[in-house]
Order: sequence, then structure tokens, then C-alpha cells
Amino acid sequence: MFHNVRVMRFAVLTLVLLGLTAFASAQAINSGAQPITLNATLAESLSLNLSANAVNFTLAAGSATNAGSTGITATTSWVLKPGRTAVTVDAYFGSAAAALTDGTGNNIPSSAFKISNNGGASTALTNTVAFGAANAGFRLRNTAITGANKTAQVTDAMTFNIDLSGGTLPQLPAATYTGTLNIQAQATP
Amino acid sequence: MKSLIQFVVCSSLLLLCAVSAGAQVVNSGVQTVSLNATLNDSITLTLSSNSVSFLLTAGSATNSGSTGVTATTTWVSRPGKDVSVLAYFSSATSALSDGGGSNIPSSAFSISNNGGAFLPLSNTVAFGGANAGRQIFTVKVTGQNKTGTHADNMLFNIDLSALPQLPAGTYTGTLNIQAQVI
Repeated sequence: MFHNVRVMRFAVLTLVLLGLTAFASAQAINSGAQPITLNATLAESLSLNLSANAVNFTLAAGSATNAGSTGITATTSWVLKPGRTAVTVDAYFGSAAAALTDGTGNNIPSSAFKISNNGGASTALTNTVAFGAANAGFRLRNTAITGANKTAQVTDAMTFNIDLSGGTLPQLPAATYTGTLNIQAQATP
Repeated sequence: MKSLIQFVVCSSLLLLCAVSAGAQVVNSGVQTVSLNATLNDSITLTLSSNSVSFLLTAGSATNSGSTGVTATTTWVSRPGKDVSVLAYFSSATSALSDGGGSNIPSSAFSISNNGGAFLPLSNTVAFGGANAGRQIFTVKVTGQNKTGTHADNMLFNIDLSALPQLPAGTYTGTLNIQAQVI
């Protein structure tokens, strides 16, 4: 009986020692964590491209309808920082009185130049917008920026008309009238 | 005369005995010193650099890091154990953040190790956040590599193709590289 107890004690001690050894060998040894600092920059951007850069008009004296030879699509793309609230697209001339001119004092005002945007009503450029001269512009787009469109792309398909029916324009002399219509986008604030 | 001779002989014998007694080695008892030398398991990891920059393009799947980083792992261990090198973020949802609530998740951050495929950090590993890591190297310790050194040449990419609405901003984060022997 006494011998059996000693054998059991020995067995138990051996098992404990084996367990401790196994536990010790299972311990993980870790190196120190080595950090790599990451710095990623997504720059803010706003761009606008036009499908064409020239439009011709064959005018009829006194006519309200003198359509441009082609429509133009403005494609506006942006990547914006949080805090921006709107993207606007403006069409404008440098002068309200002389949007197009023959160079000798005969002018077509911006109020006679109209744009239909994305199938909307044909609207004269008589507003003061972010760019250009006073009363010489038209806001094509004002898109609110939300969490869903900080990065986005939109298109504005424009068709053009010159209305020669108003004011003294029915008396406009025959000539070639040239001018520059500008299209520009802005993110605010 | 006879007495003198006897005296000389006796004196010589005594001198010889004295010299003989002086040449005997005398030893102390043996004192032992127990020696116990322990070479512990150890593992270290060093990086060739600690900073990587990215110039992001919105919606692009390919936004490479400005530089690669080499992790050098050195270990002393015992056969049967595994040495592994792990890359991880502390959070899967915001590996990099602009601090204003817009984040780049770890699943959009990928590593190519030693010329292998780019793989996102979307696994749960020994360190870091759940689903925010990847094991980039592992080896079984055998009799041939109980002491070893290994290099992992890592390249980095951020894939924004699944994040087309990520706003412009500067996104910062910390990628950790850590080795383990277990």
C-alpha cells in the first residue's frame, strides 16, 4: 500500500512537470511591433471639358429663332473635400452689351443669346453669376454636395439660340458677329 | 676518525630524507562549480524604413506606395516551433482615416511580399483588429534553421475602386509589422 502511494505521487509529479514543460514551450515569443506610418493624399479637383469649342449661327434678320450649328456637352468632374456644399456650372460672356460683335460697334447683347440645358427652357444670359460681367451669365447647374457625391461627374448638354426679335436687334446690320461664350465650374464654399 | 665518518654519513642521510619529504604534492579537496547556460528563444524584426506615402486617384484600383519596405526577421528558436511575420492594422474599418469620419478600410490596403500577388489585409491574425491583418511569412523551425534570418520585401497598394465616393483629403494610418515564434 505504501509503495503504491509513492508510485502515484511520482506519477502525479511527473505529469505536472510534463504539463509545465509543455506550457512553457507553447508560450509565444513576439518581436516588438514595428510601425510604418502611412500618409495617403487624395487631392481636391474640379474639371470641366466641352465636347466641342465652336458653334456657328446663320442669322435671319429679326428672327427669334437662330439655332446654333451644334449642341455642346459640358462634362464636369470633381473630387471634393468634406465641407464643400455645392458645385455650380456657369455660362457667361465678358460683356452683357456686346456678347457678339461685328467689331465696328454693332453688337448682339447677352440677353439675346439663349441656352437650353439638358432639354430645359431656352434662357437668356442676363444674370450675374460667379464669373464674367454683370448681367451676362446663366447658371446651368447648382448641385448640392452631400456625402454621396463628393466624387462625381455630371453632364450638361447645351443647345444655343440667338434671338434677334427684341429691342433694336431687328435693325442689326448684315455682318459677321463673333464672340466667346465661357463655361466654367466652381465648388463652394 | 671513525666517529667523524659516522657523523657525516648520518647527516647526509638526514638531508636526503628532508629533501625527499619536501617534494611531496599536497592537494586540497575538489570544489565543483555548476554551470547553467540558457540560450532563450528570441525573435527580432527591423524595418528598412518607417514611412510610406500615397498619391491617390479617386476610384482607381492602383495607388502604389512611394517606397517598398523590407522587414528583416532574426530568430533563435527550437525545432518544432513556427516563425511567422504578420502585418496588421488596429482596425479593419479605418486603416487610414482623414479624422473627419472618412476612412480607408484594411481590405482596401494590400501588400505584395517578395514579388507575390497583392493581397488585402482582411484576415484576423495574432495581433491587431479582427479582419485587419495578413500573415506575410511563416516557416517551421527545424534542425536546419534553429537560428535564422529572413527578409520580406513588401510593396503596398491602396485600391479605391470600391470607394468611389471617398472625399478628397489626407488619410493617415499606422501599419504594424510584427514577428512571432510559437
